[in-house]
This record gives sequence, structure tokens and C-alpha cells, in this order.
Amino acid sequence: MKKFKVFCVWFMGLLSLLLISGCNLNTRMSTFTAKGPVAETQLDLFMLTVWVTGFIFLAVGGVYVYVVIRFRDKKDGDDSIPSQGHGNPLVELGLIGVSILLLVIIAVPTLQGIWYTHETPNDESSLLGSWYTNGDLSEADAKEPFIIRAIGYQWWWEFEYPQLGITTANEMVMPAGRPIHIELRSVDVIHSFWLPKIAGKVDLIPGRSNSMWIQAGDTIDAWAKKVEFEGTDNERQVAYEQYLEDEIYDYYYGQCAEYCGDSHARMLFRAHVVNDENFYAWVNRMKEGHTQAPEGMSWEDWYALYDETPEELTGDIHEGLKLFMGRALCATCHAVEGNPRAVGVAGPNLTYLAERHSIAAGWLNHRNDDNTVDSEAQLANFNKWIKHTDEVKPGNLMWKAKGAGIGELDPLLNDEEIRKISLYLQSLQ
Amino acid sequence: MSTTNRTEVIQPGVHNDLADLKPEISDLGLKRPDHSKNVFIDWLTTVDHKKIGMMYGAMALFFLLVGGLEALIIRTQLAVPENDLISAQRYNQLFTMHGTTMIFLAIMPLNAAFFNFLVPLQIGARDVAFPRINAFSLWAFVAGALVINFGWILQALEMFGLFTASGATAGKNDFVPAMGWFGYAPITSTEFTGAGTDFWIMGLQILGVASLSASLNFIVTIINMRAPGMKMMRLPVFTWMTLIVSLLIIFAFPAITVALIQLMFDRVFGTNFFSVAGGGQPILWQHLFWIFGHPEVYILVLPAMGIVSEVLPTFARKPLFGYAIVVFSGAVIGFLGFAVWSHHMFTTGLGKIATAAFSLLTMAIAVPTGVKIFNWVGTLWGGRIRFHAPMIFAIGFVWMFMMGGFSGIMHSSAPADAQQQDSYFVIAHFHYVAIGGILLAIISGIYYWLPKMIGKMWQGNLNIWVGIFTVVGLNITFFPMHFLGLLGQPRRTHTYLSGFGWESYNMVCTIGSYILAFGVLLLVVDIVRCFRSKQLAGDDPWDARTLEWATNSPPKVYNFAATPVINARDAYWADKYGPENRKLGEVDEKHGIHMPSQSWMPMIASAGFIPLGLGLSLMQAGVPFMGYVTILGLVIITLGISLWALEGPGGYHLHPKKETN
Repeated sequence: MKKFKVFCVWFMGLLSLLLISGCNLNTRMSTFTAKGPVAETQLDLFMLTVWVTGFIFLAVGGVYVYVVIRFRDKKDGDDSIPSQGHGNPLVELGLIGVSILLLVIIAVPTLQGIWYTHETPNDESSLLGSWYTNGDLSEADAKEPFIIRAIGYQWWWEFEYPQLGITTANEMVMPAGRPIHIELRSVDVIHSFWLPKIAGKVDLIPGRSNSMWIQAGDTIDAWAKKVEFEGTDNERQVAYEQYLEDEIYDYYYGQCAEYCGDSHARMLFRAHVVNDENFYAWVNRMKEGHTQAPEGMSWEDWYALYDETPEELTGDIHEGLKLFMGRALCATCHAVEGNPRAVGVAGPNLTYLAERHSIAAGWLNHRNDDNTVDSEAQLANFNKWIKHTDEVKPGNLMWKAKGAGIGELDPLLNDEEIRKISLYLQSLQ
Repeated sequence: MSTTNRTEVIQPGVHNDLADLKPEISDLGLKRPDHSKNVFIDWLTTVDHKKIGMMYGAMALFFLLVGGLEALIIRTQLAVPENDLISAQRYNQLFTMHGTTMIFLAIMPLNAAFFNFLVPLQIGARDVAFPRINAFSLWAFVAGALVINFGWILQALEMFGLFTASGATAGKNDFVPAMGWFGYAPITSTEFTGAGTDFWIMGLQILGVASLSASLNFIVTIINMRAPGMKMMRLPVFTWMTLIVSLLIIFAFPAITVALIQLMFDRVFGTNFFSVAGGGQPILWQHLFWIFGHPEVYILVLPAMGIVSEVLPTFARKPLFGYAIVVFSGAVIGFLGFAVWSHHMFTTGLGKIATAAFSLLTMAIAVPTGVKIFNWVGTLWGGRIRFHAPMIFAIGFVWMFMMGGFSGIMHSSAPADAQQQDSYFVIAHFHYVAIGGILLAIISGIYYWLPKMIGKMWQGNLNIWVGIFTVVGLNITFFPMHFLGLLGQPRRTHTYLSGFGWESYNMVCTIGSYILAFGVLLLVVDIVRCFRSKQLAGDDPWDARTLEWATNSPPKVYNFAATPVINARDAYWADKYGPENRKLGEVDEKHGIHMPSQSWMPMIASAGFIPLGLGLSLMQAGVPFMGYVTILGLVIITLGISLWALEGPGGYHLHPKKETN
């Protein structure tokens, strides 16, 4: 018994130490800091289960501890056999009844939650046409919710905006307070889209059309209702903007949550949540793409030189682009909007690559705390990725595509050439 | 019929002592390997359920240590962010093999060890119904374990540049499976994984044969071989749980058998069950896998509940509270276990109705599970609890299993589960069930029954330290994982970036895993000490309640000198303390005890699984002539089973004198 007590003390001590050691629940991918209605519903349900099971824990656990202590063999010489009771049907039935009751407390909101999280809002104010004021939409698009198509590849993400005609990779940009219907597609194995602060995960399964809906922050109506805002429409708008500014506009971290092969651990993604104006500006830039070749040349002029007298294109960035289009074979797989000959589809779209805060599907990061890009780190990351792509992401296609000639480049591209390609990539902003 | 004829050949009353017996000649004209003085032959050909049980146990403990070692490497890799102790591929292989090993090669055979050793003793039978099939199950298990783990050898060769794959899996260098223990299609196709997947398919298939044949054996044994008066509602709860688990295996394993055959056909013959390009459905695999996989969870945990339902009454010195309800709730758990599989698939886009249905059914299964916990507490209520080693672990089991149950309830709410699925939260949940529940119960069972198995008593107080290190270790390892999961760390990731608030938790988990491992190591030391102990256990060291304690420790080869007649539930307790009309009786057997003959055939038949499994897998890796080896395996199996059928059942009679206690 003495040893048992020592054991209890040790156990409780270590347990409390543990609890103290981990108090920060507001981290990059914390489900405790829900930033959208879907994640909030999920968090509320989780907390409900915590309270219910916590109650059972205290009740049953309390009785259990009492019983173990109260009915221990007191070693008082009393060796008589205790009463051989076989059970009590009434106690059993009562406890079964209580268990069912406690489960109903969880079940009802669970059902509500299932319906709420499964159905993309489709009321008038949720449709794309009702808020999107950045150019024309087709009639059909206007009557749909805003759609982003997330496509999983081993091991990176493509984000298409079919209604807006743009494509990006690994870092999506989305407006705050707008419901978004995410279409989930996979081209190889099963992946899972998980943006913990905004919504729980749904799988991307090849051959299957899954979808989910997400929303960063509340809509203005939901927010006003939640905080019981009173005031004019104008004040309401200002206060709502302030709420988004304080709590919602941010850089969110997501990750693939279904095991998808060698580099599953390195299949991350990001979501920039911005206001409508910034979103529109980003959309317009992405649509247009890089209208000019380096140093303000037109693409026609640049390709005329590239085809006829490439030696006249000098300077790091021109040479980087020459390698990108030529010997390094980058454009075989990668597209850069605006560049008429960089239209590959097997790899991530690189339009405005240098504006992203990470590369290699979120594994190599160059983000400053003030939401800007650390260009020195960025250049180092580009170099590292091109030179050691197999180490950054074991098994990835760029490394494996030896048949396409990429493997041969390993000895052919020297550090200087890699640096030039990196400098060109850094000019994509 | 022939058995009846044969038994008459042997004159009753002739043999009193095993030493006098000479092996007879089988129908094939060969000498049966009975009564061999060669220990090696004796154990390899044994049909004695007790020896088979102990071999299961030894094998399973070995694989428990292997699986534990794999877990330690995994935890070491994850101790710090961006660690490069092992490669991504090696990590993926380790977590795949850790899961596969612990489930199929450690916990299931540990349970099988208890089934084998205890069930005939608990029901007053001489052996299981089909002793040679029992031996076949054991050796098929060994063959399956070898096939699954064979890839490590190839992987080592590959590391030294001595082997590369060609043929169907050319260019794939994963020879140890690396697709997770639930092998979700399409990552299991030849497009994404190499021969490791083939070893996994063939190994699991062979293990399935072993489990299915063993289960049929136990069902027949429990239904038909009970001693007179051992009515179903007098069966010890552990035997009840064995029966339910055996039924679960019979119904659950065919699903995985079919799925594995489909997958094998996809890989070897180019069919399209799971290939999208060919019109197949990857999601089909998940349904087939989990309609096996969820009952499998109960296949693992119900025996643990059975063990605890034996240990708690013994050391509380009271009958199990609500015996009928405990048995019935076990059956309900088994039944509902087939109706909740899609809660593993809440994030696959099942749709609202299916998600809601499986959510509610999953909550429903918490009721019979909770009932068991109430009954265990009720058993202790009013008892006189003695804290011997088995009891310490049984009490720990109830506590830790309850914790695992709570996180299970959290998962049942599908929207909440969308955040928990495939995160470390799930890992915390099922390890509380698997280690806090199943493993603690198995350790409790080892402390409880090992003295019966080997007739020697535990020495010293090492068991307390085993308890402290395992329980503390498991809590330090897995409690922080709840937080890790809720803070967004996905499972099955070989490394992680710093800055996500995961570093300190991971470090704590890793430290905990070493504490836990040390506890398991102490358990092994304690078991070795028990084997070397000089102190005899005696027939009934714990003042226990069920029939197995009424016979010798270790039990003689024939179990009971005379078949007992049962007049009460907790038959042996009633014999000791009950009224006269509840005491054990004896069947007057004029013919003596009919013993089965030993045989080489079960082992030969199951040995054929090794060339079958390895041949097919190596063929996939492009090794020449392996198609012929596969066929050779089939020939050996067919030959072994045919000779087994033709050698005749054999058997002999013993007339032991009942020893006085």
C-alpha cells in the first residue's frame, strides 16, 4: 500500500507537470482558436464532449477511487469472505438510462453540426454574384457559391479558381467573411485538406468528387448578431472591418492529413485571408500574369532574341530565364502566366512565385513576422530546392523525372547556373 | 466413426503412466511422433493446447518487443523538429510495421495464447476440439509473421546495393511495407509502392487463415466440449469473450480476405478493383477494410475485458457484478462492432445521412462499454480487495481504458472528429485503449495465470515497478498527444517544422516512450525470474474462482484426472466455499482419458505458406523462378493437408490417478 501511495504521488506530480508545460493553445494550427463558423461549430461540439465526458470522469472515477480505497483488504486479520452479491438489475438499468441520456446531450447538437458543416450556404447573400464586384461573371457563376478547386498531387497543392480563371499553387488567397465551396480532387493517391483554424478536414480521393465549405471569419450579418451590434449601417460596416482586421486577416497554415507516400510530412499549404480589395487586386494580377519579360522587354522581343541570338541576353535574370526555358527544362512542367511558352501542367504554377511566403509546399519558408518576404532566405530556399530537391522532398516528381532528362541536369547545372535560375524566380513578383 | 473403432483397440486400464506408452503407427505406415524424448520434436509436433498456447505467448512477446523497438525509433525521430535520424521512407516503413506487428503479431497472438491455454481448462475439457488444427493455426501464424517481416532482409540487401527490384515493381525500393497498416488504395498499387506491399498482402492473408482456423476451433470447443453441468451461463467470462471474439473473427476476416485477394489481383494480374483509371473505386477498399478493421478492434479488446472480469472478482473475493449483463454487453459490443466501421471514414465525404447514422451508432456502442465499467466497479464494491500484481494491473486497466473510452466518445461526434481524424489525437485515443486497456489487461493476465502455466510463483516486488513504469510511461507518452492532435499535428509525418508549438510536446512524448519501454523490459525480466523461481505456485495461489485453478500447476497433459461435473458458476469457488450440492463432481470414465496423437502434418502444411507468400512477393520484385516457388508452396500445403487427412486421427488412452491436493 505504501508503494501504491508513492506511485500515486509520482503519477499526479508528473501529470500536473505535463499540464503546466503545455498551456499555449494558440498556435499556428490550433483547433482551439477557431477562426470561422465551421471550425467554431466543430470546436463547440468538441468542448461539449469534453464537458460530458469530464462529468462522467469525475462521477465514475470518483466512485472508483472511493471503492478501491474503501474496500481494500485492511490487513486487520479479518479474513472472512465478503458477501457474495451477484449484482442488482435496478442499478444496472439506472446506469444504462443515465448513459443514454448523457449521449443524447451530445447526439442532438452533433446531428445539427453534421448538417451545418456539410451544406455550403446557398442563401442569396452567399452567392458569388451577390458580393463579387471585380468585373463580369457569367450568369451561371454568379448564381453559385464562390468555388476554389483544391487538387492534391504527391506532394503539393494546386488551387484553381474556376469562376475567375486563375490557378495558383500551395498558397491560396481567399477573402474574409465569404463562404467558399472547396472542390476536392486528387490526381494520384488520397490526400486530405486540413486548415485547422478554419475547418476540419475532408479527403481528396481520386475518382471521387468530394467537397466542403470553409469561411474565414463571420459574415457581417452573423457577426453583428453574435456581438449584438447596434448602430447605423455605416458604423456596423466600420466595426465589422475592425473585427476582421483584428482577428481574421492572417496567414493560415494547413497540411495534408492523409498519409500519401514518402513526403506526406512535407505536403503543407497556406491560406492568405485578405479583404475584398486585396483579393480583387490579387485576382487581377494573377489573371494578367507577367506581361513583360525581364527588364521590361516584351515577350515577342525576348523570344526573338532567345530564338535567334540568345548570347545577346545577358545578366543573371535573363540567363536564369534562358536556363528555365531551355536546358533546365523547367517550363516542361511549370507554367508562368503571361510567358507564352511556359505552359507546363505537371508541376505547380509559378505565377508570382516570389510573392509567396514559402516554397516546396510550405516546407521552405521565408516569411517575416510583418507579413513580408525575407528575400535573402527566399533566394537560399530557391537554391536549396533546385539543388537538393530530393532531400527537401524525397521521392518528388522533379527528382524522379529522370526519364525526362532532369536527372542528367544534376552534373550539368552548376551552382552558378542554379543561382541564376533562383534569381529569375525571385524576379517573379 | 473410425475414432470410436480405434479407441476400442486400446484396452482400458492398461496404461497408467506416460512413460510406458509407445508411439503407434499411423495409417500411412509412419511412426507417430508421440511420447518423443526429443524436446525439439515434442514441441514441434505437439497438439497440446497448453504447449501451443505457450508458444503463441513466447512468439507474441518477441513481436511485442520488436514492435516496441520500432515505436522507439519512431519516437526518437520525432523528438526534435526537422530531425533526420532516419529517412522518410524508413519512417513510413516503421510506422506501418509497428501497427501491423502490434495488432497481428503481438496482441492477437497474446490473446490466442490465453485462449489456448485457458479455454479447455476453464470448461473442463481435455483439449480443444481439433488439436491438429490448433497446431496448424500456430504454425500458420509463424509463417505469416515470417512473410510479413521478410522484407527487412531485402531492405538490408538493398541498402548495401546488393538487390534492386525489377519486373512489376521496377524502380520501387520499399521492400518493407510503407503504406500504413490500413493500406488505403490507391497507394497500394504497383504505381506507388513496391514489393513491401506484396509481403504485407501475403502475410496478412496467411495470418487470416491462422485466425480463422483457430476461431472455428474455439467455437466448436466451447459449444461442444464443456464438462457436464458447465451450462453456457456458467462459463467463465473469459471463455465467453473467447467465444464472442471467435465469432467476430469468423464474420470479420472474410471481408479482409476478399479485399486482400482483390488487391493482390490488382497488383499481380492487373485487375482494376481499386484503380481509378480502370474504373475501380479506392473508397471500396476503405469500406472492406474497416468492416473488418472495426470488429478487429473488439477482437483485440474483448479478451482483455475477459481477463479483467476474471481478475477483479478473484482479488475482490466477490462474484462478478451482473455476470449476465457483462456477458450480454460483450455480445452487444461484438454485434454493434459491425455497424460502426464508417466512423473511421467520417472525412471521406460519406454524405450527411451516413455520417449521422454512423455517428449515432458509435455513440450507442459506448453504452455496453460503459456498462462493463460500471460492473467492474460494482464487483469491487463491498469486496475485500487484495492488491496482488494481477489486481494492480486490472485496476490500472479500468482507469486507463476509461480514458480511451472518453476520447472515443469525442470521436463519435462527426464534426468534432473532422478536426481529430488522422491527427495525433487519434493516436492518443487508440493507444490509451491498446496499451492502457489491452496491454495492461494482458500483463494482468500474465501475472495471474503464469503461475498456473509453469507451476512457479513470482518473486519479489518487481511487479510494482513494472506497473509504475508502464502506467506512468504510457500517460507521459500519450496524454500530450491529445494536445498535439488538437494543435494540428497530423499523424504519419516523418518530421515536422518548428514554430507550430509541437516541439515540447513531442519531446515529452519521446521521453515517456522510453519510460514505457523500460517498464516492458522490467516485465520481461520479471517473467524470466518467474521461470527461474524455485518457489512452487501450488494449484490455487490466488484463492481463485474458476475451474482452471482446480487442477495442477502446471496442469498435466490430460488437464483433469477425471472430467469434473459443474454445479455452479465460479465452479471452483463453490467447490471450496459453497454448499455441498454446489461442489465439483467427477465423471466416472471407464475408458480413461482419450488423448490425441501428435503429428508433423500441421506444421508441414503451414510451412507451405512460406514459399507461397515469399514466392509471390519476390516474383513481384522481379526475382527469377519465383513463380515456381509459389506453386511449390501450394503443392506443399496440399500435400501436407492430404497426408494429414490420410494419416488417421490416432489417439490413446490414459488412466491417471487423481492426485490429492
